[in-house]
Amino acid sequence: MKTREQEYRELFMAEALEYYDSMSRHLSELERNPNDAPALNELFRLMHNLKANARAMGFMDLGEVAHHLETLFGLVRSNEREFAGPLVRVIFQGVDALGSMIRAVGANQPLPDAQALLENLDRLVRGEAPILEGEEAENEEESSRKLELSDLVYIQVKKLDNLLNLVGELVIDRDRILTLAQEIGNPALQATAQHLFRISDDLQYSVMDARLVGVGVLLNKFPRVVRDVATAENKEVELTLSGQDVQIDRNILQIITDALLHLVRNAVGHGIETPEERVKAGKPATGHLELSALTERDDVLIQIHDDGRGINTEAVRRKAIERGLTTAEAAANLDEQAVWAFLFEPGFSMAQQVTDISGRGVGLDVVKLALDSLGGQLRVDSKMGEGTTFTLVLPTSIAVKGALLVEVDERPYAVPLLHTDTVLALPPEEFSVVGGVLVMHAQGQAVPVVPLRMLLHDEGDELFPLANKTELQGSQQVLIVNYNNRRLGLLVDRFLRQQNIVIKPLSKPLDTIDLFGGVTLLGSGQVCLVLDVPALTRLFLSKRP
Amino acid sequence: MNKRILIVDDSFYMRTMLKNMLTDAGYEVVGEAANGAQAVEMANATTPDLITLDVILPDNTGLDVLKSIRQTQPNAKVVMCSAVGQEVIVNEAIESGALAYIVKPFSEEKVLEIVGAALQDNSTETAA
Repeated sequence: MKTREQEYRELFMAEALEYYDSMSRHLSELERNPNDAPALNELFRLMHNLKANARAMGFMDLGEVAHHLETLFGLVRSNEREFAGPLVRVIFQGVDALGSMIRAVGANQPLPDAQALLENLDRLVRGEAPILEGEEAENEEESSRKLELSDLVYIQVKKLDNLLNLVGELVIDRDRILTLAQEIGNPALQATAQHLFRISDDLQYSVMDARLVGVGVLLNKFPRVVRDVATAENKEVELTLSGQDVQIDRNILQIITDALLHLVRNAVGHGIETPEERVKAGKPATGHLELSALTERDDVLIQIHDDGRGINTEAVRRKAIERGLTTAEAAANLDEQAVWAFLFEPGFSMAQQVTDISGRGVGLDVVKLALDSLGGQLRVDSKMGEGTTFTLVLPTSIAVKGALLVEVDERPYAVPLLHTDTVLALPPEEFSVVGGVLVMHAQGQAVPVVPLRMLLHDEGDELFPLANKTELQGSQQVLIVNYNNRRLGLLVDRFLRQQNIVIKPLSKPLDTIDLFGGVTLLGSGQVCLVLDVPALTRLFLSKRP
Repeated sequence: MNKRILIVDDSFYMRTMLKNMLTDAGYEVVGEAANGAQAVEMANATTPDLITLDVILPDNTGLDVLKSIRQTQPNAKVVMCSAVGQEVIVNEAIESGALAYIVKPFSEEKVLEIVGAALQDNSTETAA
């Protein structure tokens, strides 16, 4: 992961090498024509910049040489010294010395000693003659001169996308070769396959690493957004940013741009109260909005926190009943988290009808969809009168996802780990039937359970049949998945293993089946469908008896 | 509200460092100019609350840039930015209406202190 320190160092190096190349060029021009004023001005400017940058990085010796040369160029510019004779030789030595020092910085080596050079530069500044060694020394320097190109390359994202796709294909073939090698049993082939495995793993991570950018490139656009929205809404909002250095795949950042924009607009427009309301509520007139990024295990969390009025849970509960999303009895038993989940339902809007609530709800489903497409999660936390926090849980990289492989009717299915909660093996006694739905208890919470088979084979519009406990024979394998704070237990035949998978989109005509997020190839060459947990959850909720 | 700042410096490294320091502190960097012509153009297009202006630029001196910006925006708040050695130009710039002088290499505290003080300063407005 690249820290800001490393970034500065890379920028410094890239620019220093560029300066060095330009200086060498202008110096040759000046040698041909000592009256070349533009060349002299450029030399002076570049030297001045190199001095300032080197000192900012703490490379004091490098800064010192540049400072002396800058002074000397200043004297030449003001016609106090002539660009001729021994002065030219010392200046060339000086620029060469800068080149060696810059290279030493790049190679993390101690900087070469420049004492003799500095003394000669001092003499020239004072108007004395420099002490020059024989011609040999100069020849030696000439033979050690190297040509250097910048260490930084700018690259189109398109090219990186292509690279990532190719690596994805490679990984699939690699898994296939590894399985074949084991089947064939040839030790040399197996060893080679193992080696291929390691190299392609490294390659994959290198490509993923090359695509990472700091979250700051997006977050730093928000001061302007917040300012404009706040002005339009007559709000006073102070924005704090943190975690700009957290690294994430560039395309993930691209995909969440609109979602983040929406959440920030909502927070300023509807979360944070007007200065008058705030003062009345005993809060400071200026609202506070915080945008922060942090890393949690393999995920990147982006949080939008406002200290506004918070979500009116009861209003959302009433609205959900009104919209027919739940019954009054069921709604009464829902905790806050479960109620807030309704905010992400398509078209669920708190506008107009309910004015005493933050967030219009309009478009929150769009935010949810953007996160679903990435395999991310959206969490919400709120306290009336104190504020609301939205948390976007994002994968660091798009390419590879951790998945749990399960088996139903002798076919493998992959469930992205981002949506898996717990894996359990339970005897039939642990289950009960409530309202026609099979229910189990996990961590003090009642979790509905459904055979995955039933969801996969679902056709038509009829509701699922009433659950029957007597159909459960022996120990049951339950995978608890989590979507939008709703937990659902899936009964499967067998747990296979956990592995990293490369998800490929489904090709036509299969792409209309919305229960699957894509397909992956297992090492055995077997095709494995990747389950779309949000879609499965929605199907269950719409068909439960 | 976030104060809007334009950074003028011909070194990408310097601009990046300044930008990080300022945005981390909650300022909005509305633009980065790498030469005098860009600086004048962006200053007029964005009318920032404050401009940090490098003394030595490829096409112009910071002093010329300062003068042309103040022609169209007499109230513009400008802080000069330079490594030691250019005190003559800096002094002239202060006489021409620049509010302060940041010496490179600078610390984050120093930059924020000078920028904060310059933004509080109302002398340019009363002078106009």
